[in-house]
Amino acid sequence: MKLKRIIAAFTATLMLVPLTACNGGGMREYYKNQSLDKLYDKFDGELEGGTAARPITLRVLENDTAKSSGYLKELLDGFNAAYADKYIVAVDANQDQFSDLATDGPYGYGPDVLYQANDMLMKYCDGKHITPLPVDKLDAYEYLPELAKKTYTYKLDGEEYFMGVGVNIQAPMLYYRKDLIPENWETEWDDNGNGVFDPLEDMRAMYRFSLARRAANPENYGFMQSYDDPYFACGYLFSYGAYVFGSDNTDTTDIGFENGDASRGAGIILQLAGTMNKGCVDNSITMSREQEFAAGHYFAVPNTQDMYGTLLSETVKAYRKQGMNAGEAKRAAEENICACPMPALPKSGDLTERDGELIDSTVMGGINAYAISSYTKHPKAALAFLNYATSYEQVLRRNEVLGIAPARSDCNEACTVQSNVAHSLYGMAEENRISIMPSVFGVDRIWTPLSTAFSDIANDPYRPGAEKYTKGGKPDYDALQKLLVEVDENIYSAIYTLAGGDK
Amino acid sequence: MENTIVEDTSYHGKKPIGKRLATYFRNIPHRFCAFFKRLGGKFAAIPKRIARRAEYVRKAPKAVKASMCLPGLGQIMQKQIVKGIIFLLLFAAYVVYMVLLGGKAMYNFFSLGVIPPNPWLGIKGDNSVMMMLLGILAFIITGFYLAVHFANIRDAKRTHDYVARGNKTPNFIQSLGSMFDKYFYVTALVLPIVGVFVFNILPIIFMIFLAFTDYGGNIVSTGALVSLIGFDNFAMLFSMGGLLGSTFIKILGWNILWAVMSTFLNYFGGLGIALLLNKKIVKGKKIWRAFPVLAYAVPGFITLLAFKFMFSNLGPINYYIELFGGTGKMFFGIDSKWSARLIGWLVNAWLSVPSSMLLATGILANLNPDLYEAAKIDGASAWKQFIKITLPFVIFATTPVLIGQFMGNFNNFGVFFFLRGGIYVDGYFLASDTDLLINWLYNLSIDNNYYSLGAAISIIIFVIASVISIIVYVKSPSYSKEDMYR
Repeated sequence: MKLKRIIAAFTATLMLVPLTACNGGGMREYYKNQSLDKLYDKFDGELEGGTAARPITLRVLENDTAKSSGYLKELLDGFNAAYADKYIVAVDANQDQFSDLATDGPYGYGPDVLYQANDMLMKYCDGKHITPLPVDKLDAYEYLPELAKKTYTYKLDGEEYFMGVGVNIQAPMLYYRKDLIPENWETEWDDNGNGVFDPLEDMRAMYRFSLARRAANPENYGFMQSYDDPYFACGYLFSYGAYVFGSDNTDTTDIGFENGDASRGAGIILQLAGTMNKGCVDNSITMSREQEFAAGHYFAVPNTQDMYGTLLSETVKAYRKQGMNAGEAKRAAEENICACPMPALPKSGDLTERDGELIDSTVMGGINAYAISSYTKHPKAALAFLNYATSYEQVLRRNEVLGIAPARSDCNEACTVQSNVAHSLYGMAEENRISIMPSVFGVDRIWTPLSTAFSDIANDPYRPGAEKYTKGGKPDYDALQKLLVEVDENIYSAIYTLAGGDK
Repeated sequence: MENTIVEDTSYHGKKPIGKRLATYFRNIPHRFCAFFKRLGGKFAAIPKRIARRAEYVRKAPKAVKASMCLPGLGQIMQKQIVKGIIFLLLFAAYVVYMVLLGGKAMYNFFSLGVIPPNPWLGIKGDNSVMMMLLGILAFIITGFYLAVHFANIRDAKRTHDYVARGNKTPNFIQSLGSMFDKYFYVTALVLPIVGVFVFNILPIIFMIFLAFTDYGGNIVSTGALVSLIGFDNFAMLFSMGGLLGSTFIKILGWNILWAVMSTFLNYFGGLGIALLLNKKIVKGKKIWRAFPVLAYAVPGFITLLAFKFMFSNLGPINYYIELFGGTGKMFFGIDSKWSARLIGWLVNAWLSVPSSMLLATGILANLNPDLYEAAKIDGASAWKQFIKITLPFVIFATTPVLIGQFMGNFNNFGVFFFLRGGIYVDGYFLASDTDLLINWLYNLSIDNNYYSLGAAISIIIFVIASVISIIVYVKSPSYSKEDMYR
């Protein structure tokens, strides 16, 4: 019996030890508070320098278009020449443009400097994977618009930290074919007589124009868009008062896709879908967008600036097939592919009305920026690279090579390529007509519920006799509102059902 | 309740399937009782077993007792110096490992770290996941050492008994020789077993333990510390009232239906084509056989993407439907639950029937044609011949493959990922009504970082799949009537 007792006591003790150790045994609280007083010290002092035998290497993550266009090589060569005496060498990180610093950085695989969109960069903040930048040491800071500053400001425990230097404002614009505008537009399609083709400034006119083009030839369409891509479709909701997250896109418990008259925006999607074809429900239109646009079957498509090159090359090809030589085709394509902000929307949400108040359209957009990895071993050299890459000359050069819309005010004024687009975007940013993609944890949970809902709405005109969101030939705003509430609930449950402490 | 298994003796030969099923289900409570009674008996016997061990220790020879206390000491006492030193060195290595790394790793396995990482300040912090992994490794190493320790005790006892029978103590060379002779199986298996533990068992155990943590959501992206949460993940999965629980039940039901139907379609589709191409009246068999093989040879995901395009809203199928005056359909739309499921079955059959056909063709070639001649003379119809001769023979030979196909279909990730990915349907949590458990697992763990929940689902998939496989295999003629066709 004595032996049994000893064994029982020994076993119980053995089981107790791990129990007391479980989840840190109370020690986690002790280590929780870490002072950030010396956060910026790593940027002070003399620039790190290597030697001829062992130069400092900075790994730079850039996007694919910068690589394929040769801009990245030009940037790296320029920087390396400027800092050759310090033996600092910047190289291509050779990683996927969407690679995740949160998974690579802690294990030493991540880049030192990153160029990504704000939703990618700012999601690293909670894990402290990118480091706050010393504003006083950033050459471009004073030229950035408020929107870019706000987008890259991270708040933690009441303090604000600046995380990335914006380079490029990006948002969907309406790309259209000038040569497809009817010759009699000034008499037939300029009701307000302002000298602008009405469909480019009024979505109601675009709706009528789309129907008219189809009536003339069923193969031709007016405005075309795949609604399974929420990035492009969200704008209709934002225009009527919807938002992604509350408190300036930071409060993920407050999801607002149903806010205000958002159901009117959903109704716009439904009505526009009826002028298209079933390709608007899935990604069929997106897949063939450039070719159909080039062939003249689509009059207008919403697109971001990075796709301008593809639109141009496809249209050049189409013109060549029509018998133009290379030079003529290029000139014609450059002249005929135009861009403008998305047309205004009717306040009532009814695209069939001819009169009535219009509201400016809002679109979802983003700002690409350079940021510095917290895991870099050479923070001062990384900062030097960041300043070099965001300098006036480099941002202008980026515009020349890639056609980006510069975020720096001085570059935006001086840019030469797609300058009208750049100015429009800058203006839209100033007027708060660009709703910046949120940059907090949880934003990655919004896309699929939204995509599903938008596809469902766009599907309605193709469910004859079984419509879910149409009543008496008009959008059923109650049903649409219910759907948007469900979207909010689905996103909430996706974020919070298993949130792991981020509630 | 009468605690005996019910047997129905009113039939001679094989009873009807309904009766057999009824008997099987009626006996489930008795089987449960019997199982727990056996389990209780095992627990009740523990004190006796401990007492027996204690008695063994008390009566053990001095050399054996010495080896129990200090590995190798018993061998040294019995003049097996080299062997004793090797055991001692192994013990010393284990002690050093435990002092320097293992002990801490075991503690960390439970604590999962205390210092949160702060890359802004260059504080690396504790990596909970790595701690869990290293902790498991420490326990496995301890397990290995215990095996060595018991081998040391057994060796000391064996040597003692050998010498007690009047033999001379074996020297080191002789002991080494026995490792390549009498105990060669042990020598040969040591390295593979270590490999299996490190590369196979360790990840599985890691996955199992992950299911009991909160590793998911923001914790993954921020690198925050992970906590043990017991059975919370499983409770969420089985909470019928919650969205998660109802999603799990709905997907599980569909998953089983999908796997059963797919396996049936693929298997009998392949067998049917093989039988057809086996007929003498079929001309150009080589060409006909080549067609399905071509479908098999094309990478699966290319085929799936091609089918997705064919059935897309502006795809060729809708084009022809509308050309002939019909109304185009949304085959993979949000309302297209059953059309998408049906297409899924057919596309999967397109991908899998060729392999079943090739398999069945090979097996049918071995079937004795005399059996059919005899059956014809006895007046058996073609259907009867198929049921009584062809099918039992093919099933006997292919049951393990059939189980493999079932498992493959149960965990068939590609079909609905490529055909209808990126849709979340109302009433489902991060899933659509065509998603299988494996697709849901992907949505949760890869798309949404819910690794711990994914691990819990993996365990459930493993349990379901293995239970079904074992039951089917044990009940199959391949297992129970192994000698039938020999």
